[in-house]
Amino acid sequence: MQGLLKSTSLVQRACWLIRLRWVAIGVLAVATFGASEFMDVSLAAVHLYAVAAVVFLYNLGLQQLLGRWTRGGKEPSEARIGGVLAFQISMDLVILTAILHFSGGIENPFLLFFAFHMIIASILRPRLQSYMQATLAVMLFGGLVVLEAAGVLPHYSLEGFADHGLYRDARFVLGTLFVFAVTLYLIVYMTTSISEQLRRNQEALEKANVQLREKDKVKNEYVLRVTHDIKGHLAAVLSSLDLVAGEMLGPLNDRQKDFVGRAHRRTTSCLAFIGALLKLTRMKLTGRLEPEEFSLRKTVANVLSLVQNRASEKGISLTHRMDADIDMIWGENVLIEDTIANILLNAVKYTPQGGKVDLTVVRDGAFVRIRVADTGIGVPAAAVPRLFEEFYRADNARATERDGTGLGLVFAKQVVERHGGRIWFEDNPGGGSVFTFTLPIRHAGDQTPVGQ
Amino acid sequence: MSQGNILIVDDDPDITDAMSVVLGNKGYEVRVAHDSDQGRERLKEMKPDLIILDVMMRTSQEGFEFSREIKQNEEFRDVPILMLTGVKEKKGIDFKSAAGDESWLPVQAFLDKPVKPDVLIEKVQDLLSSPKA
Repeated sequence: MQGLLKSTSLVQRACWLIRLRWVAIGVLAVATFGASEFMDVSLAAVHLYAVAAVVFLYNLGLQQLLGRWTRGGKEPSEARIGGVLAFQISMDLVILTAILHFSGGIENPFLLFFAFHMIIASILRPRLQSYMQATLAVMLFGGLVVLEAAGVLPHYSLEGFADHGLYRDARFVLGTLFVFAVTLYLIVYMTTSISEQLRRNQEALEKANVQLREKDKVKNEYVLRVTHDIKGHLAAVLSSLDLVAGEMLGPLNDRQKDFVGRAHRRTTSCLAFIGALLKLTRMKLTGRLEPEEFSLRKTVANVLSLVQNRASEKGISLTHRMDADIDMIWGENVLIEDTIANILLNAVKYTPQGGKVDLTVVRDGAFVRIRVADTGIGVPAAAVPRLFEEFYRADNARATERDGTGLGLVFAKQVVERHGGRIWFEDNPGGGSVFTFTLPIRHAGDQTPVGQ
Repeated sequence: MSQGNILIVDDDPDITDAMSVVLGNKGYEVRVAHDSDQGRERLKEMKPDLIILDVMMRTSQEGFEFSREIKQNEEFRDVPILMLTGVKEKKGIDFKSAAGDESWLPVQAFLDKPVKPDVLIEKVQDLLSSPKA
């Protein structure tokens, strides 16, 4: 049977135990000092300080060991880290027994602390091991109180705190020991039952998650297949329509032109949608980027020349500014070009005649920040949270432009986030929209500056 | 008077017919093949000035394989090839390793389907007027 936690979190837990132990050592020293100096309780203070010192050294050693394991970057095997945890818990039981021995034995209510150790063992270790830890605790505590009662071990009474005759009363000692043992075993039983249940739930969730991801992949492959097929048909339809609409097969009358034109427009917008869906699905299916070093300056220039035509047609002034020191960046050029074009074309699309669209590219630490501001129709507040949702289009966008895929911003977000950047929307104070996104200048794992 | 001989290899007859009309109207002599076997046959009958090649035919990379074959052939090495594919597909077949290696991917131009008639004509004129490699 497995413990509740996986080996990564086991390492964290081992470190957590070490941190707890630092606190415990401090508390032991302070409590000893307080009890002996201020509360007039007689206890073997020197012995207790010695125990604290030994535990201090022991903990330091453990910390070094675990530190070396985690720094090495290599994950210790589950068995190994499990062994360390079992050892820690057992040692803690021994330490607690030693502390009790020097501070009144059975008279000291701190014997309740054994319960904590049982809970920790039951969460971190398998059930059988936890029962073994409980047995060890019972043997240690039992050995202590019985040997003290029998006079084999010296008894350090808590004079001034408890009746110091109790430790020799056989019925009291055996009764306490019995309740002690029952309590520990019950704690282990209850805690391991709960952690067992939790572990099963966790496993079921993980399994469900894997299945969901597989299903999502199958769905994406299906969508890819279907869209690809549809695109092939649409391309053929459009090629034929081009011939007719372009009057390459002979002149058309006005009504013929009108209706062929409509068929042509609808096919074109359907194809745009299919194209966007294909692009997005293909990206979802490819696991990782194929980044390269490329000139963002050139890419931006390409996009601008593409968008400029569209802007001029609508009488929109397209301005741009780029920090002089930005040129080579890291990323997948084609995707980034697509993304910038997407956002700029959106701005032009939703900005009325005579408006303004402005592109700025500035350096922002290790990132470039690309900002597209327009004086267009903007985004209603209610639509802002859904802006990057698949197939979503804001009402005012729908009213302004009938055609739109509702996929452009989803694609942009995917591209930006895959590169380790961020994309967001803001209102343009003068009316309109501002879309901003960041892209890392260099490869995440690459420390050498790009272009050198 | 012929502006030049063009071979179109595409498995979609609607696409090849439409392209034939567009290019035929501009005075080009167009021959059509629907897979690389037919393409090979055509090459025995004609020496094209330009080959327009679809990528996905019977297999997803048939067009690329055929283009390589053409470039390995002494006689057709200099014939420019226009590949019908999107940039993304092009990346999908390890375009990067091919970028600096003409013999691996000996393609002069790419166009994504559907190709607009004016874009097709412009590209074809462009390829036919550029000096041969």
